[in-house]
Amino acid sequence: MAESSSFDVIIIGGGITGVGTARDCALRGLKVLLLEKADLTNGASGRNHGLLHSGARYAVTDMESAAECIRENRIIRQIASNCVEQTEGLFITLPQDDLQYQALFVERCREAGIDAREIDPAMARAMEPSVNPSLIGAVKVPDASVDPFRLASANALDAANHGAQIRTYCEVLSLLKDSGAVVGVRYFDRKKKETLCAYAPVTVNAAGIWGQTIAAMAGCEIKMLPAKGSLLVFGHRVNKMVINRCRKPSNADILVPGDVVCVIGTTSDKVGLDECDNIKVTPAEVELLLREGCSLAPELENTRILRAYAGVRPLVASDDDPTGRSTSRGIVLLDHETRDGVPGFISITGGKLTSYRLMAEQTANLVCRKLGVNRKCLTATEPLPGSEKHSNPDRELSIAFKAAEGRHGSLTGKMDFSQKSEVLCECEHVTRAEIAYAVKTLGVRNMIDLRRRTRVGMGTCQGSFCIKKVAEALACELGCPEMEQEFIREYVQERWKGMTPVCWGDSLREAEYMRKQIGRNINDEI
Amino acid sequence: MKFDVVIIGGGKSGTLAAYKLARAGKRCAVVSAGHCLGKTFRREFIALGGTFLNGDRVTGGNVEGGRVQYVRTENLGENTVLEAGHFILCTGKFFSRGLISTIANIYEPVFGCDVLYAQDRSEWTVDDFFAKQPFENFGLRVDDSSRVYVGGNVISNLYAAGEILAGEVDIEQSVEKVCRNII
Repeated sequence: MAESSSFDVIIIGGGITGVGTARDCALRGLKVLLLEKADLTNGASGRNHGLLHSGARYAVTDMESAAECIRENRIIRQIASNCVEQTEGLFITLPQDDLQYQALFVERCREAGIDAREIDPAMARAMEPSVNPSLIGAVKVPDASVDPFRLASANALDAANHGAQIRTYCEVLSLLKDSGAVVGVRYFDRKKKETLCAYAPVTVNAAGIWGQTIAAMAGCEIKMLPAKGSLLVFGHRVNKMVINRCRKPSNADILVPGDVVCVIGTTSDKVGLDECDNIKVTPAEVELLLREGCSLAPELENTRILRAYAGVRPLVASDDDPTGRSTSRGIVLLDHETRDGVPGFISITGGKLTSYRLMAEQTANLVCRKLGVNRKCLTATEPLPGSEKHSNPDRELSIAFKAAEGRHGSLTGKMDFSQKSEVLCECEHVTRAEIAYAVKTLGVRNMIDLRRRTRVGMGTCQGSFCIKKVAEALACELGCPEMEQEFIREYVQERWKGMTPVCWGDSLREAEYMRKQIGRNINDEI
Repeated sequence: MKFDVVIIGGGKSGTLAAYKLARAGKRCAVVSAGHCLGKTFRREFIALGGTFLNGDRVTGGNVEGGRVQYVRTENLGENTVLEAGHFILCTGKFFSRGLISTIANIYEPVFGCDVLYAQDRSEWTVDDFFAKQPFENFGLRVDDSSRVYVGGNVISNLYAAGEILAGEVDIEQSVEKVCRNII
């Protein structure tokens, strides 16, 4: 085999855990290959609230997770400042809730090390004008919102900066074994349409909900219990703080502001593993989310719903429970050498977005132990690319530059604003310069990749106005102008999937408009 | 104010109908909410002496004995009504708010005309964006003379033309048909 296909560690899965592990290993000097079957954050990492938990949500039910969250929350605010909005959060008690729960909640938060402060309902209304005015109790906690796409992208970029190979659209077909040990993987590069092999003494299964399938390739059994969570995105940022319901964790009780929108979620329903690649939000889920959302912030009733989406939590059945009924939200790190007698193979699963860095650290520790490498984890202190402290030269900055800076932090300086300052997506202020940068540096190959890294078309128009300009620019930057129509088609079809579950009122008006603007024109051209 | 015909909606079908009727000597008024396409017909209609209430909106009408007696508009207020022998609804579909959709139903906001649509919201769209969407065929039920129904009863002097109609619509033909009935 060629030299380039042999590594210290192969990581399967480009979710936040996979890219976090790739970064951690690369910073410790390991030669890393990461394989992802689609784009980064294609699974649960890209289909959640975008909430950087303070841990308060888990304080009453799961003290360990709560303490873990607050420690990681503090770290991520520091190392990923350009991915985090320091919104703070409220836990509100409504008249139909039990106010005594609030006292228990505050006590447990304090035990977990979470700075939870009871505040007067009148004060809560002043701090967060969108909150349900009938609240009878409020607690302020250090919740924040985080952009999971940007966070994953920054991890991948830093891993690559430290020598890791990050290969998206590469699907693992099988694990290569030698004398019972996993020694590498065989994978299919979907862009180049070729099958390749790569070798490493350790392979990490970080495939999230698809981890059960990967483990089975090594002859190991992991019982995943996929739980679908649906969310709704509203067309305005109604709230500025995260609003949670102060009660035992339940459906649709968190409203998170992010960029120009806000997100209510989630539901929780068991689904089959075979459904995970194509999950849909049902009308009943939409109605539940809307109803519960309005009880947190009544203004949502009059706010246009942009879209609905759903993710699948990679919950794992506890190893000691053969019935598979008890699940864990904690980190599950499996050394298949000790567990199943399969050397060279590790699975990392469970956990949550907020604890991704810790999951990566624990995984990298185990990888290093297996490789006999003794290097310390650096990810708790080393800022991610874009988060380094920086100052702009003393000049007037355009709104578009500031918007890009909000997304890419100090890396915005690498964008060519002198030549390509034209704003293409007006909702999110995305310029041609940012698109060129995303193509050059962030591995963007299509419109969906581009959306995840720049928020292009994610605002109120959902691409209706800008999509043609953006597709033209992307095709041009990629050097394949013939792809323009296909880019538009692919993007609109993906947006449509999110629009259909909420297609009434203003969303239906938008749909009618989009069909006239884009649907018919494209059909005419084809 | 009294007219031969009051046309509700100043888009493509509304202005076209107004122009044709004015040419045939009818005294017409158009109430246009302002998303105005069809500026040529509007200009010609005004040149023929037509009344064009731009940036106004019909708030409701009075229906008695199976006929529309008059309508009120936002700008004219409570004390002035538009009376006419015939009324034409040309308010378009959802984007122009000729039809209103909610999580529970779809309705026509001015007269509460009968709308043909799928009761089950999940049948309003199909997964392929580039295919014809079912909601694009939702619209008003009309009789052979393009007259609308309210609560299952035909309104004898209220017609519909253009995109507000159910099914595949040829705008010009639908306008032509209504005008023929009125002239």
